[in-house]
Amino acid sequence: MAIKTLSIKATDSQDMAQKAKTALKDFNAELLLFFASSFYDTSSPAKELSIAFPHSRIIGSTSHSEYCNSSYTDNSVSIMAIDKQSVEDVCIQVVENIEQKNFNLHSLMQQMESHFGGQEEIFNHFDRYVGIILFETTAKAEESFMDALGTASDILFVGGSSSCTENNISKVYADGKSYTKAAVLAVLKTVNGYDVLKTQSACIFSQQKLTVTKSDMSQRIVYEFDHRPCGEVYAEVLGVPKDQIQNYFVSNPLGIVVDEEIFVRTFDKIQKDGITLHCGLPEGSEINVLKIGDIIADTKKALDTTITYTPAGVINFNCLYRTFETLNKELTQQYCSLFGHYNSIGFSTSGEAFLGHINETSTILVIK
Amino acid sequence: MAGQIYNIIQSVITQKSKGNQIIARSIKTKMILKGISVDKYTPSSPDDPIMVQKVKDIAKEFGVTI
Repeated sequence: MAIKTLSIKATDSQDMAQKAKTALKDFNAELLLFFASSFYDTSSPAKELSIAFPHSRIIGSTSHSEYCNSSYTDNSVSIMAIDKQSVEDVCIQVVENIEQKNFNLHSLMQQMESHFGGQEEIFNHFDRYVGIILFETTAKAEESFMDALGTASDILFVGGSSSCTENNISKVYADGKSYTKAAVLAVLKTVNGYDVLKTQSACIFSQQKLTVTKSDMSQRIVYEFDHRPCGEVYAEVLGVPKDQIQNYFVSNPLGIVVDEEIFVRTFDKIQKDGITLHCGLPEGSEINVLKIGDIIADTKKALDTTITYTPAGVINFNCLYRTFETLNKELTQQYCSLFGHYNSIGFSTSGEAFLGHINETSTILVIK
Repeated sequence: MAGQIYNIIQSVITQKSKGNQIIARSIKTKMILKGISVDKYTPSSPDDPIMVQKVKDIAKEFGVTI
């Protein structure tokens, strides 16, 4: 057994950790990845897990709702325990104060790569090294961080941003500690390799490319497309009156399209002279207006196309919007059954990570 | 003069990927997410000085000598 998955409901973190310890008796976890309902943060889930599993490395995040195998739950903790048959080594680092958005991650990544023998070792065995990244979401620094991370290392990082329940506690965890406004990075040396897949509930609505000519990346505001007010251009593409555009924000997000891969940016709200997004768009970006697609069919296609083998484990960072959409359309059971074939965990994220920061997407790490 | 932007972009992708197609694709995507429309530039694209500087800065970020 190389990977085990658990879904636990408990009275508090100590009870949760004890239940996990019992379930994982005789299993030597190299890495524990957990997504805990923010309900548990009042009693330190990371600390309790590190006491229960003193020989394991531990990373995690708070969550609004959790996935485990074929089930969707809330007020629970989903845990993936990975032993050396799947991941022979792991290096974990935490970057704090990410809201300052002044990153130079070259020395950090050099340090992480050195743990495994250096950049050349990683380049030559690119198919074995993969990263997991967990952002604490209130920092709103994901796109700047992913940009800096992408220039500092070739390692592919997959992950998402923390979410929370009605108690509004958002945190990420590494070993026994919890963090706000931080990013937790873990580089995994896999034994049998990995696959990364990304599926989004959107497809191209209009082939017309729009160039972002005025934006404020740090505030996630877009002002102009093709040197004209962005709202006016967006309305024209959709063929709707300008004063009704906010009615289309959910059904028609924006996307940067790279060789048919879509990187979705969702709208937040109209703000004086511009529109705020959930992910910044740099000036010069070419975007398309998208339309919402079929989450179930798209996810099934993505999983079936890539996972043509029996994976050891699947980690699903699924956008909270997508969770809401499947709940609203009563498709949650159908969605979860797609993952029932695998040892899988996931959570409803406030943003997803793969090469950059993305919205309304599911980024999935498959450990072979 | 023409083609400087295209040449710098190709140089970054080639030097970083060293022939690894997955890394080449990821470098191209990272540049596009930075606001560089990689496919728009050809060997005959005019050398817009602002854009030339932008891709030079990106090459430096990637640690690529041009």
